[in-house]
This record gives sequence, C-alpha cells and structure tokens, in this order.
Amino acid sequence: MTSPTTAADPGVVMIEARTVEKWYPNGFHALRGVDLTVHQGEVVVIMGPSGSGKSTFLRTFNALEDFQKGSIVVDGIELSDDVRRIDAIRREVGMVFQQFNLFPHLSVLDNLTLAPTLVRHRSKAEVQRQALELLARVGIHEQAHKFPGQLSGGQQQRVAIARSLCMEPRLLLFDEPTSALDPEMVQEVLMVMQELAREGMTMVVVTHEVRFARQVADRVVLMAEGEVVEIAPPERFFTAPQHPRSRQFLSQIS
Amino acid sequence: MNRARALTNRLRRELFATPLDGLITVVLLIGLVSGLKALLHWSLTQADWAVIQANSTLLAVGRYPLNQQWRLWLLTALLSGAAGISWGLLRGAGWPRSDRLAAAVLLVLGLVLPAGLGLAAPLQQRWWWLTALLLVGRWAAGRWGCELPPRWRRLLPLTWPVLYLSGLGLIGGGLGLMTVRPSQWGGLLLTLTEASFAIVVCCPLGIALALGRCSELPLLRWCSTLYIEFIRGAPLITLLFLGQNILGFLLPGGLAPDRVWRAAWILTFFAAAYVAEAVRAGLAALPRGQWEAARSLGLNMVQTLQHVVLPQALRAALPAIVGQFITLLQDTTLLSLIGLLDLLGVARAVMANPEFLGRNAEVYLVLAILFWCCCAALGVGSRSLERHLNRQVLRSQP
Amino acid sequence: MHTPWWRNRRLLPLLVQATVGLVVLVTIAYLLGNLVRNLSAAGLLLSWRWLNLPAGFDISESLLPFNAELPYWRALLAGLVNTVRVVLIALVGATLLGTAVGTAAFSSNGLLRRLSRTYVELIRNVPLLLQLLFWYFVVFLSLPDGSAAIQLPWVVLAKSGLHLGSPQLVNGVWQGSLRITLEFAALLTGLIIHSGAFIAEVVRGGVAAVPPGQWEAARSLGLHAGQTLSRIVLPQALRVIVPALNSQYISLAKNSSLAVACGYSDLYSVAETTLNQTGRSVEVVLILLGTYLAMDLVISGLMNRLNRLVQIQER
Repeated sequence: MTSPTTAADPGVVMIEARTVEKWYPNGFHALRGVDLTVHQGEVVVIMGPSGSGKSTFLRTFNALEDFQKGSIVVDGIELSDDVRRIDAIRREVGMVFQQFNLFPHLSVLDNLTLAPTLVRHRSKAEVQRQALELLARVGIHEQAHKFPGQLSGGQQQRVAIARSLCMEPRLLLFDEPTSALDPEMVQEVLMVMQELAREGMTMVVVTHEVRFARQVADRVVLMAEGEVVEIAPPERFFTAPQHPRSRQFLSQIS
Repeated sequence: MNRARALTNRLRRELFATPLDGLITVVLLIGLVSGLKALLHWSLTQADWAVIQANSTLLAVGRYPLNQQWRLWLLTALLSGAAGISWGLLRGAGWPRSDRLAAAVLLVLGLVLPAGLGLAAPLQQRWWWLTALLLVGRWAAGRWGCELPPRWRRLLPLTWPVLYLSGLGLIGGGLGLMTVRPSQWGGLLLTLTEASFAIVVCCPLGIALALGRCSELPLLRWCSTLYIEFIRGAPLITLLFLGQNILGFLLPGGLAPDRVWRAAWILTFFAAAYVAEAVRAGLAALPRGQWEAARSLGLNMVQTLQHVVLPQALRAALPAIVGQFITLLQDTTLLSLIGLLDLLGVARAVMANPEFLGRNAEVYLVLAILFWCCCAALGVGSRSLERHLNRQVLRSQP
Repeated sequence: MHTPWWRNRRLLPLLVQATVGLVVLVTIAYLLGNLVRNLSAAGLLLSWRWLNLPAGFDISESLLPFNAELPYWRALLAGLVNTVRVVLIALVGATLLGTAVGTAAFSSNGLLRRLSRTYVELIRNVPLLLQLLFWYFVVFLSLPDGSAAIQLPWVVLAKSGLHLGSPQLVNGVWQGSLRITLEFAALLTGLIIHSGAFIAEVVRGGVAAVPPGQWEAARSLGLHAGQTLSRIVLPQALRVIVPALNSQYISLAKNSSLAVACGYSDLYSVAETTLNQTGRSVEVVLILLGTYLAMDLVISGLMNRLNRLVQIQER
C-alpha cells in the first residue's frame, strides 16, 4: 500500500501561524491576531461557535482566504503574495470541504486522477493504479467508474478524502467534513479520518464532533470571536477547561 | 377488440370529458379540417410549383459561376462523408441512442426530394450518391469505429475545423482555383456560410465575454457588461445597418471587408453577446466550491477553467446556446434587408421577376418549410443531447 | 523576502486590468481617429444642423401631421410615434394571445393542448421576417376589394385597408369609418403571432413552475378548472412570468424594426430613407441606437416596477 505520509517527526513544524489578522472587505474583523503551531504527525482539532473564525483561519493555510497582518509558514514555505509560492503550498496541502465539492462531470476515478496528472505531470496509468488503491482504502473501489451524483453523501466525502490523498499531501485540512452528512453516514467518514491519523498524517480539522476530538486529536483549539481562547490536550480540554469561554462552549454543545 | 375500446375510452377522456370540452373539440376539428382541406386544395390545384423548379439552382447557390459549381458538389460530398462518419462514431459512444427514425427520414428525403423538385436526372443522381455516402459513412463508422486506435479517434474531431477552413477555400477560391468573390455567393450557400461562420466564431468570443462579466476584476467586468448590454439593446437590423454604413469609416481605406464579410462579422458580434449571457447563466449556476476544490488541489486558473469550470458551465448552458444558434440561423434572413442575396434575398429577387409574379405564397412556403426543418432538427438534437448528458451525470451538488 | 512583480497576486489583477484597459483604449482611439479622418475627408463631420432641413419625402401614414416640407427631425419623430404605436398595440395583443395559448397547454382537452404546442413549435422555428412578408404579400395584399371584400361583423377586410366600425360602400370604395392600412395590419398581425408564441412558452413555464399541490388544494376546495387557473395558479405563476416577460417585450420592441419589410414607416425605415438622402450615417445610427436603447430602458423600468408589485403581493 502506498502511504502518502512520511514518517512523523514531531520536531518538524508543519504550520507556523503568527498573529494572523484578517478583515473582510465589509470591515468585519474576522481574525484578531491568531497564533498556532502544528507539528508533523499531529492532529489538531479546531472547535468553536459558528462565526468564531475557525473555518476562515483554516482556509488561510492554503490561501483560499487572504489575511492582512501576521505571517503563516506552511511546510517551510512562507505564504506571501507570490503566486508560485501559493501554488507550491496548495500542491502540498490537501483540503476536504463540508460540501464535498467533487467534480460532478467526472467519474470518481477521474476526480482522483485529474490533479496528479495535471499538476504533478505523472503518467495517467500510474496515477490510476494509485487512485484505485486509495479508493480501496476508503472502502469504495467498486464505485470507481460511477459519477459522484450516484453516490451517497458519506461515500462522496470518502471520495473527496481519497482525491486529496492522491496528490500525496504532507498536510490535510478538513473544513467541517461531517456537517453536511446524514447522521448514519458520519461514522464511516470519521473512521477513515481516524485511520489516517493513526498512519501519521498531519491533520487540522474543524469539526463539532466531540468524540472524534477526544479519541483522535493531539490538541484541541477553541476559537471565539476571531481569537484563540484555549489550546489544550483533549482530555484536559474536555474535563478541565481553563477559560470561561471554553466552559460556556462545552456546556452549549453537550 | 379490447384495444379498440381502450382507444375510444382514451379519446373520450381526452376530447369529450365535459360538454364544453366536446364543443371545443368539434369547433377545433371543423376549423382544422377545413383549413387543411383548403391548403391541400391550393397546393395541388392552384399553386404553381414551377417557380421553385425553375429557380432551384438560384435558390441554392445564387449567381455562383456555373462552371465552378463542381467545387460546391465536392464540398457537399466531403461534408456528408464527414457527417456520416461522425454520426456513426457518436452513436458508438452512446449518443444518439435511437437514430433509426432520423436515418429513415434522411433516406426518404434524399430519395424523394430531388425528384420532387424536378431536378435534372444527373443532379438527382448526385443527391442520391450524397445520401448514400452519408448513410454508408454512418454505418461503417458505427461498425468499425470502435476498433480504431485511440490516438486516431482523438484526432478525428480535428477534421471538422480543417474541413471548415478548406470548405471556405473551396467556396472562395485561391491557390490555383478561380476566385469567386463573395458578392457572387448567394441563396442557401450564403445563408449557411454566414450562419456557420457566426456560430463558429461567436462561441469563443461569447465565452470570453461571459468570463469577463463574471470576473472579479472590475475593469473586465465593466467592459464586458457594457459591450453585452449595448449589443442586446439594439435591434440586429440597426447593427447590420451600422456595419454597412459606418464600418468603412472606422477602418483605414481599403482595410474594410466587403459587404458579405461585414455582415458576417456583425452577425458574429451580435450573437456573441447573447451566447455570453447564456454561458454566464451556466457559470452562475456553478457552486463556488468547485473553484475552491480545484484551486486547493493545485490546479492553476487556466486548468481550473479548462477542466472543471467550463465543462460544467457549458453543459448547463447548452440548451440556451443552441437556442441562440437557431435564432442566429433565422436572423440571417435580415441580410436580405441590407441588399445581400441570401436565401430570402434571392427568393425576393425571383418573385420580382415578371415571369413569376404573384407566386409569393409558393416561395415563402418552401422557405418556411426549409427553415422550420433546420431549426426543429437543431432543437430536437439539442434536447436529445441534453437528456443524454443528464442521464450520464446525475446532479450531485446539494 | 522578495516577490517579483509578475508573480505578485496583488499586482497581477492590476496588471491584467491595465493591459486590457490599454488595449481597449488604443482600439477605440484608433477607430475613432479613423472615423474622424475619413469623415472629414468625405466632408461629413459630426453635425446635427441637417436635422432642420426639409425632409423632401413623405410618410405614407403618420399619427403626427407630416408632409415633405417639414424638417428631418419631424420625419424621425413621426417614425418614432409609428413605432411606439405598433409596439404598444402588439404588446397588448401578444400578451393576450400568449396567455391564452400558454394556459391552453394545461387544458383538459387533448386537442387544444396539442394545438397549443403545434402553434408554438410552428412559429418559433420560422424566421419573423419571413412571417411578416407572408402576412403582407400573401395574406393582406391578396384581399379582394369593393363588394367582394370580406365582411365580418364590425370589420371589413378589403385591399384598401381594414375598415373598422360600420363602413359604407360608396362607388366601389369603402368609406366612413376607422381605416387601418394593410401595412400596419400585416406588421401588427405578424408581431402578435410571433411574440404570442414566445410569450405562450413563458406563461407555460410559469404555470408549470407552480407546485402541483396548489392545483390539488384548489380543486379539493371545490373551485373548478377555470377558477383554479385564474385565482390560484396564475397569480403565483406571475412571479416567474414577469421577469421573463420583460425580455420578450424588449425583443418585441426591437423586432418592430422589421416593419420595413411590409412597407410600414417606422423609425428604422424613416432613418434608412434619411440616410440615403443625407449620407449622415453616423448621426442616423446614433439616433437609432439611442432611441431603441431608451425604449428598452423604459420597458425594463416599467416591468421592474410590475415585478416588485408581483413579488411583494406574494408575502
């Protein structure tokens, strides 16, 4: 089995975000000086009430959102206005969306092979072999020639994860990957994510799934009103939160 | 027996459900029958179809020199061969699924129409050969098309642009062929040349304009919007009028194209604005997440457009775009108002001939049938293609 | 850390826009430069003084009093009034026809349904110009005259025109009532029949967009088909119909410029004659484009107001 991840080395910093500030064009101050460091092989779960800026923060890591102040270094490349750097970072960082965002006009297999052939210029046959292996790993190799519209939500999200893995990323970002799913499909997606974490993939996950955070996360980040309120290992965060906002948030979701 | 009862039941339900429905049906039937009877009576006893028979060449190609018309025959043969092969290959790829009816209609038309028009025997035979070429091409390509090596099959669509350009060369001459100036093109030849040129060139223009109008860059957006709204605000005839009277002033002396090409370019610029609006609707229907997914996978702007955005947007816009093509084909009749001899222009010239005075109805009827068949065929084809694409890809996005 | 300017994602958009702007500006300047040079060489530099010269041609029918001695601007105005007249009447006629045909597509009578579809498919696939020529040259110009004229209640169809009311036959000539010229009648018929088909499609689409539950609910309350349509379904369908109707009305206004095919003196046909006499192509085209644009804007403005009314009533 091809493993897209390199052996985890906790000494290597994958994301280094320093005092990131972002204003939307309408003047809304979305991020107010956020700091975060993510090491290789780490699973960081970001939680927080809606409108707290957690998705916006996640999306700055691969330049889907820009920011005005501060600095972000991803895998040793500093995010700047240089288009070539942005392309380089996007090649190394995979992203899984709430709405799956599969390409509905392409078959499942073509969804996986599109980017590696275009961006990494790899041979089609080789990528297809890898794509089929990845689909087998997320449990849907029998659907490879179907179109996304013929799959269930959970299957689509697993295809989306496989699509990201096919680019052999060094870091995976998850933007509320289970929020658009019917309850009975949440588990199959979380299982795949848990499996990835066990293999040592570096992951940053925005989610409301407390159980996933407890079992898989190395650290939990709580954001509120554009700021990081608390960063703690899950057992401490869920049992003995330090900050009053954390306690308030936990009482709301439980 | 049972079937007959079912039929009467159905008729009763459809036509005589209530007394009012019955009355409507009777009135409509009386009107329809008497109308059809009058039309049949007129076309069989009063109409004089000699005007069509005597002028069939004029209506087809205008005043194209007689000794050069072999070039048009050659072009028609190439086109029907290529069309037949493409048809067969497409059928092999799954669309259209049921084309027996279309093939049968073509066969009957090809056999009957030349004789019905009273063409000379050699001409009739040529039409038969052309029909045979088309149908044999379809059959052969459907039979052996899938055995071609993939590289060949990928090259085959390229034959169409090559064929189109060489077709224009064949019509216009040059490279050793005698030049036939555009002012000598006419009739159906001119109509099809202008319409096809406008259709081919307006598509890339329209897509570019639509992208400009949806762009995040304000200047591009304003320029595209201004152009699109300006064109859509003006009647085509005033734009053609502008083309004939002002285009010559806008370009340095001698650079302005002749009247036929001026009209072709105006038609193109006109249609581009409408195609742009159709494509824009397709782009607007595309979720923003498609862009984000493609960009986050590392695809650049051009790759995202080419592989993700445009295939979906164009597919959604297909019915509207084909609708524009149908309108464009009909709009070519306006060329006759600015003095060009397109199909309608030639027809009006024919009717002005004292020999055929008062034969308006026959000529207009034939023209109407011709246009109706072309436009309806385009419409049917587009709807069938749309169904095929929808069946293939069930929409997935919430 | 240095980013070269051609790779800077903040500079790139500016760069692209500057390039496009420059190309557009240079093209426009080039074309305008040629225009000025060529026009001054032809002695036709932009001027509006010729509008006050006597036109020297007559207009066959005009609501405004007009004769050949009046200036060009009066001729163009008369043409505009003629255009507005035909557009207004055709708008009303096409809306009525389209609504009737569009709702007929939902009739319980199968024949009526099919006839409605046939009409739409027949009309939409034949060029409007061909239809106008057909109505004028084939139908209206072949009307008999004198005592052979077709006499219907309230209208006499004769070669001399359509006589409304109760005309008298005096010495073989119909007299003493409102007369509509054949040109106007042909144009009006053609426009109404053509636009009617398109409006019928709009109405059909609008009615089809109303959820079937509405029909069922109304029928279960005891309303019969006609009441259901006019009281329940059509008011809801208007939300979909009105925006689409806007573009149909605008194309009707633009299509009226084909009046020249049936010899009706609308704005375009007067402008064409004016250009042939004066050679003032740029000015004439500017007048034409500006007037049609203004007409579109007026229609859009009115329809937007109607649209707001329809959408608010919904709540």
